[in-house]
Order: sequence, then structure tokens, then C-alpha cells
Amino acid sequence: MMKKRIFAFFMITTLILALTSCGTEDKKTDSSSNIANNAMDTTNDAKDTKDSNATEQTSGDNTLTVWCWDPAFNIYAMEQAAEIYKRDHPDFALNVIETPWADVQTKLTTAAASGDLSTLPDILLMQDNAFQKNTISYPEAFTDITNSGIDFSQFSAAKVAYSVVDGKNYGVPFDNGTVIACYRTDILEEAGYTLEDFTDITWSKYIEMGKDILNKTGKPLLSCTAGESDVIMMMLQSAGASLFDAEGNPDIVDNPVLVKVMETYAELVKTGVMIEVNDWDQYVGSITNSTVAGTINGCWIMASIQTAEDQSGKWGITNMPALDGIEGATNYSNNGGSSWAITSNCKNVDLAVDFLAKTFAGSVEFYETILPSSGALATYLPAADSDVYGKPQEFFGGEAVYAMITDFAGKTPSNNTGVYYYEARDAVATAIANIVAGADLKAELQNAQDTVNFAMGR
Amino acid sequence: MSRSTRKHSLVKRQKLTGWIFLIPATILIVATNFYPMFKAFLLSFKAGVGANMKWCNFYNYARMVKDTVFIQSLKNTFFYLIIQVPIMLILALILASMLNDRNLKCKGLFRTAIFLPCATSLVSYAIIFRSLFAVDGFVNTVLIKLGILSTGYNFLGFPTSAKIIIIIALIWRWTGYNMVFYLAGLQNIEYSLYEAAKIDGASPLQSFWKITIPLLRPIILLTAIMSTNGTLQLFDESVNLTNGGPANATITMSHYIYNMSFKYVPNFGYAAAMSYIIFLLVAILSMIQMKVGDKRYEG
Amino acid sequence: MKVKRILQYSFLTIVSILSVFPLFWMIISSTNKSIDVVRGKLLPGTYFMENFKNLLASQNVAGAMINSFKYAILLTLLSLIICSIAGYGFEIYHDRWKDITFSILLLAMMVPFAATMIPLFQMFSKAKLLNTTTGFILPTISTPFMIMLFRQSARSFPHDIMEAARIDGLNEIGIFIRMFFPTMRSTYAAAMSIVFMNAWNSYLWPKVIMTKEESITMPMLVANITEGYVTDYGMLMTAVVLCTLPTVIVFFLLQKYFAEGITGAVK
Repeated sequence: MMKKRIFAFFMITTLILALTSCGTEDKKTDSSSNIANNAMDTTNDAKDTKDSNATEQTSGDNTLTVWCWDPAFNIYAMEQAAEIYKRDHPDFALNVIETPWADVQTKLTTAAASGDLSTLPDILLMQDNAFQKNTISYPEAFTDITNSGIDFSQFSAAKVAYSVVDGKNYGVPFDNGTVIACYRTDILEEAGYTLEDFTDITWSKYIEMGKDILNKTGKPLLSCTAGESDVIMMMLQSAGASLFDAEGNPDIVDNPVLVKVMETYAELVKTGVMIEVNDWDQYVGSITNSTVAGTINGCWIMASIQTAEDQSGKWGITNMPALDGIEGATNYSNNGGSSWAITSNCKNVDLAVDFLAKTFAGSVEFYETILPSSGALATYLPAADSDVYGKPQEFFGGEAVYAMITDFAGKTPSNNTGVYYYEARDAVATAIANIVAGADLKAELQNAQDTVNFAMGR
Repeated sequence: MSRSTRKHSLVKRQKLTGWIFLIPATILIVATNFYPMFKAFLLSFKAGVGANMKWCNFYNYARMVKDTVFIQSLKNTFFYLIIQVPIMLILALILASMLNDRNLKCKGLFRTAIFLPCATSLVSYAIIFRSLFAVDGFVNTVLIKLGILSTGYNFLGFPTSAKIIIIIALIWRWTGYNMVFYLAGLQNIEYSLYEAAKIDGASPLQSFWKITIPLLRPIILLTAIMSTNGTLQLFDESVNLTNGGPANATITMSHYIYNMSFKYVPNFGYAAAMSYIIFLLVAILSMIQMKVGDKRYEG
Repeated sequence: MKVKRILQYSFLTIVSILSVFPLFWMIISSTNKSIDVVRGKLLPGTYFMENFKNLLASQNVAGAMINSFKYAILLTLLSLIICSIAGYGFEIYHDRWKDITFSILLLAMMVPFAATMIPLFQMFSKAKLLNTTTGFILPTISTPFMIMLFRQSARSFPHDIMEAARIDGLNEIGIFIRMFFPTMRSTYAAAMSIVFMNAWNSYLWPKVIMTKEESITMPMLVANITEGYVTDYGMLMTAVVLCTLPTVIVFFLLQKYFAEGITGAVK
């Protein structure tokens, strides 16, 4: 019986091998073209294009290979850009390989560390926070596009700054991480407040109103993921401060802005105005389940909020609170976002530059196309004036939120990410976790600075 | 040729056959494991960022001693090892023993059910565990209803309870896996031995101790070494359940090594050095286990 | 006696329920809308076809399934053959040198993969094995633990029947194929389940060595879905169910061999 089963396995294996050809590289499986028969939305038409291009290689004359993630957002945007570019360049082809960010990072590091850059694509999407680290660690993997003809002044300065290393540009900015404060206007109303009350305020005012709302409605104003330093970094950047100084030294323990930020955070948790949850899924859950009355995060959080369709019309957007008593504090900040980088493995840099210049860095029409169906917001300043951006959004109380957010982007202070960004981020997250649990603030900041110094090899 | 010479050359040929049988597997392991291990070992004596690595002798190893995060991860990993592995193996042994009983019905269903956790995708089981132990999650709801707690306890937010959640997750996930090995091993024990013992008046517990455990010893050794190796190299749970938190209270060595290579500024020399410390620990523990447990009964 | 039986069944049932609960939640979630999953709905919904259609539209499910099966089956067959004969060789023909060699081989599993991955990648890149099936399966065909499983199990293989077989004119490889393999069916069944499961679920090495879109496997597909600003939990759970089922089915088909016993096969 067992022998028969083994034999059957052999037959199946041989059959499958015969069908899908082991050992050779470019054969595409037939099934992907059958899937495209499902007529649902533009994603499918885009997928058709993707499939028929899947056999092209990186070295093809008019093909570009791209690594990025999220079919509803980044991949969709790339494919729309390809459509627009093809109008003037009909033999252009785009090959998008869906790759989660963690894997983009892993594959990039593996390729660069092993000295074999041939597996890299032409263009890859990179988190803004990782630009400094990657370009400084592996400069040989990227192409300098400072003088390529792309007009970087059309983008929000704070955004461009992320992908500038040693004065050279390495990235074309893409998705917007401008911080917005979202509030459930119905819950605010219940407690007697309006969205205006939360515009252009400071954190002390926010906490004061938050306590009142908590008393009256039982709902905190905000939730965040414990053990992550998103909120801290957002507050820090809103005053133009960073975890590193201009020379690249850690600026943690004697950083007055950071001290104020930590105190504010601890106060938020202590009063119950902000609750900490344990992971991302629960964070989104707390918003869509009406556990909290709002959130403060990068504008990409809008997509998650909108999954709760029954809450349409009950949300409003405004700017975030500013730090009290800090010189240079503003109501604007940034969290996340990514930019397109051209790798050194790109055989046709002119094509890549031209493609990006004519779409992501030059086409208002492009941004108008991708906004309605994906909510993908730009950092491309000319797009803010378009009608599409000015359209009222019913979900968010009928306001023209997209234009508002692009306006916020222009007012965001830059910060200094630093090469050791992730080490510092984690050290600060550890510190705040201990501070919330009752540890001494100064001592924890010192620990954090020591950890970062250690990581930097000092 | 005399009879003893013929037997001698026969034995020699058999031993040669033995070598031929194991050559393919050995070559594969040497090529795909030992060679990269050797290169990684060399790397552990270099320091530098990215592609510019320079020799630095024992700098990386010395540095480890001052690395508070590494030391914490070492403590955490050992905590898991000492508590989780014995509980899991004993549980797996008991379950396998029960499911080997000829007179038990629905064995197939039970076996598949208990094996399911290790086949369950990491993504989904992580989401489920995290939501089960959330402040407003299922476990807290039940505990509040039973009156044991008055408000939800943040299991994943406190160091000790977070570590315990990881241990629970590990036991849940890997008991079935080890049970499979024991089940297979139990098939190789003659049933007549149990019958004879019963006739001699032995209780089930005595049969278990005097027959099952000794004869299952080779497989128990296998699972002990595999579990030691697996727990000391633990990665998935630290990343997906707690992300190393709260404040590095649950981070494992492999998780820290991964961060050192791919999340932070790449420091492969240091990562390699830490990997070799893991290697040393696993090797020592495994060799001890082999010395103590690897007995052969001739004849 | 009855009490003992009841206790046994109760214990096994409780353990089984605890083990199965997450899979049960997974299946229920795949029939619900994403927002319902987030809101903790535990009852089945009617959304499965919708989730399934969304999944097919956004990911190459068929391609990933075929790839995963292809690699897993190939890896399982090769691994079983090579490792079982090696374990047999180490144990049946054991001598001091073979024992020492085996102990050294065990060391191969003890360095975390994150450290050896890059030298391995470098090696395969030089050998032009990137993006190939060979490159995919070669590192994991032979593992010390599988060899150890067969080696330890071979301890219970009765040596006397080997002598009898040799007298009957059977050569060494014949003994292995005709006697060892049928006798140790339960070990092969265990090994097959485990190797298939590991091959099916492997993520890191395949991700690094395969660079073309059409080489996607099921774990990669699931990872793609979790990555994104908005996660469609219903669709995610559907993908996870599809990813989990094959291993479960393979195990269920093989687990009856765990009831064989050695006496039944010795004829």
C-alpha cells in the first residue's frame, strides 16, 4: 500500500515537473492568465498588463522591474503610472514583483552583502526611514539621481530630505505620511466639543479636553501600539527635533524636546486619554470598534478607518496638537511614507528616470487618477491644487481633506533621520515602556543613549 | 580462504556499504551547511559596516559581554528552554502513549487535531494568540466572568506574563510535532512485551516506566536535542507574538541577531559572533544529552 | 476501568479542542467580511465566495499552490530517500568512526540560519543556482535531524532477519528496500509529514533565492496579503486556510501508519 503511495507521488511529481519545467528560469505558469478573467475593478486590468510582462527580464530594453508591496496602494499606483507613460511610449513594459517591505530589506541586504547585485530590480520602493541606513551601508547598490532632471522642488521639502544623503538625491518621493488627527465628531459632540476645538491646540489642552470626554463618554481619545515609538517620533518631529544631531551623535538624554515628549506621553497614558494596545491589528480594531474616539497617525491610516463603512460621515480631520513650551513647536509632523529608489543594477537608467519624471514627479493627472480608488496621497505639491484633491470627502464630514493634508505636508518640519535610526527608535521605545511602568525618566533616557552608543560602536 | 577471513572481508564489505549509504546525505550537509558555517565563523572575527569588513580578532566576542540587550536575550531564551521543553516533551509522551492504546476510539481524529497546531500558519496563530490575550480578549473575559480578575490584565504588556504567554504558545504549537515522533517510535515496540508485563501483574504506570521509556529512549533523545536546538534558536514567536517586548523582556537571541543583520545598520560580524555563541550552547547541551542518552542495546 | 476511560477521553477531547480552536477561528473568519473579523465575530458568515474571489483577483493563488506542491513533493521524496538510507547506514553498520561522523554532522543544525544565509546565497549565486528549483531544495534535502530520526528508529530493526536475508541471497541494498522500508513504515510516515510540512511552510530561503514573480509559494502569498496599509482579514484567512490544508490532509492520510507496529510487517 505504502509502495503504491510512493509510486503515486513519483508520478505526480514527474507530471508537475513536466508541466512547470524545473531548472529553467522564465517559464510562466498558465494559471495566472485565467485569473484575470474576473471582471471586478481596475486592479484586474492592471494585472493583465503585469502577467503579459512577467516574462521580460531586467535587461530588456524597454522594461523596468519594480519591487514594491500592497496591491491596493503602491502596486496599483505603479501600474497606473505605466499606463500613462505608455501613451507616449507604446513599447514600454512594467514588471512589478510584489515584495513585502521586510523582504525588500532582506533581499537588498543579502544581495549587497554577498556582492551579487544582479538580483536587484531596476526600481524599488523603500521606507523613508531606511534610506539613510541603506544608502550609507551599501552605496554601491544605488544610483545618484540628483542631476537627473527630476524636479525635487515640486515635492514637500521635509519629504525629499529623507532620501537625501550627503547632499545627493536617491529617491523620488511617493506616499505621504503626513500626520493627521482624526476624531469621531459624533463622540466629540456628545461631550460638547467640535472639531474646531481640536485645531491648532497644544497637548496640554488636548489632555484637558480628553479627560473631560473620557468622563462623559468613557472613550479615550487615542490608541497606540505599546512598544513602538511612532507617537514619540511624531511628537518629536513636530518640533523639528530628532534623535541625532547634525554630526550624527545621539541626542537623547540631554534633548529637552525629547524630555517634553516623554513626559507628555506618560501623562497621556496615566490619565487614560491614550490607551496602549499590543499590536497593529488591535490598534486598527480599537478604531473600527469605536473603542476610541480618534487617532493620530500618518494620513495612510485613513484607509483603515474607512473599512468601518458604518462610521461614514462621523469622522473629521484636523492637525495634531503641538508641544507645550517648546520653541519651534508646530502642529505638523510626519510618520512613515516611502520613496522610489533606482538601483545600480538598473541597465537603463535614462528610461527609469524618464518614467519616474513623467509620472510620479511630473504628472498631476497621475495623482488625480490614483487618488479616488486607492486613497494614495501625494507629496507632489502641484497636485494639491487640482479639483480631485479639492473634492469633499463624505466619510470625513464632507471636508476637502486631501487638499488639507497636502497643505499640512508643506508645513511639516524636516528632521534628521540618521543612519542608526532603527537602533535609536527601538532604544526610545524600550525607554518609554519602562517609564510608563514607573521607571525614572532621566535614567531611562541615559540607558537609551548608552544602548545607541553601544550599537554605534562607541 | 579460511572461514574467519571470509567473514572478516564480509564484515568489511558491509561496513563499506554503510559508508556508501551515508555519503550523499553527508556531502549535501557539508556543502550546504558546513561551508557557510565556516564562512560565518570567519566573519565573526571581522568588524565593519556593509561591504568594508576588517579583521578585529575577538572584538565582537568581547563586545557581547557589554551588550545589555544580548544578555537579556540570553536570559530569556534560557528561561524558555528550562521551562518549556520538559513540559512539552512530557505532555507529548503522555499523549502519544494514550493514542497508542489499541482500545481507544477515534484515534485518527485526536492525532490530527493535536498535530494541527504545528501545521497552522504562523501568521494566523500569532493573530489569534495576540487577540486571545488582549486586555479585552477572550481569556480576560472568561477570567473576569469567573471572578478571578476584576479588570482585564495586560498579559502581553508585563514582562513575566509575556514570557509565560510565549511558553504557552510554544507548548501549544510543538507538542503535536513531538507526539508524532513518539507515535512512530512506539510502533517499534513489540506489543507482546506489554502483554507479558500485564500477565506478570504490572500496572500501566509500571509498564510505562519499565518498558515504554527505556525502549523509546532513542527517540526521546532525538526530540530532546531537536527541542533544545529549536528553543535556543527561537525566532518566530519572539517576532510575531511580542516583537521582543515589552522592553526586550521576551526577545530571543535569534531575533536580536536578525535585527542586527537586517533591521539595524548591518553588523554581520557581530551577528555571526552571536550566532556562534548560540552554536556553542546548543552543541554543548546536545553533546551532554548524547553522552547521557545515546545507548545502544546490542543483540 | 470505566472512570479511567472517561478521564482519558475527556483529557484528549480538551487537548484537541484547544489545539483545533485557532484553525476553527481561521475557517470561520474566512467566511466573514474583514470588518466582522476585526470585531470578533465567531459565527460563520456567507462571505466566503467573495473573499475567495478577491483573493484570486489580487494574488496568483493557482501558481503559488502549484509551486508549493512541486517543491514540497520533490523535497519530501528526495529527503526521505537520502536521509533514510543515511540513517540506516549510520546505525546498522555502526562503528566508532560512523558515530563520530554523525556527531559532527549534528553540529550543522546549530548555527542560526540568519548567519549562514548570506554565505550560502553567495555560493549559490556563483554556482548559477539562483532562481532554480535545484537552488530552492538543495540546502534542505539533507538534515541531521531526519538522518537522526532514521538512525534512532533503526535501533529497533531486528538484525537477525538481516542475516537470514543475506543467506537467502539478498544484497545490502535489497535488504534496505525489501525489509527496512516496509518494516519502518511508521517512521517513514512521520518523516513524510514533518518534511512535507517544513518544505511547504519554508519562507526565508525561498524568498531570498527565488526572484521571479512566478516562483511565488503559498507562504509568500500569505505574507503579501499581510503587508499593506489595509489588511483584508477575511481574504487573509481564506489564504491561510488554503495554505494550511495540504499539510493537514497529508498528515491525516499518513497517520494511520502510526498504528502499524513492527510485528505486522515482518513476514
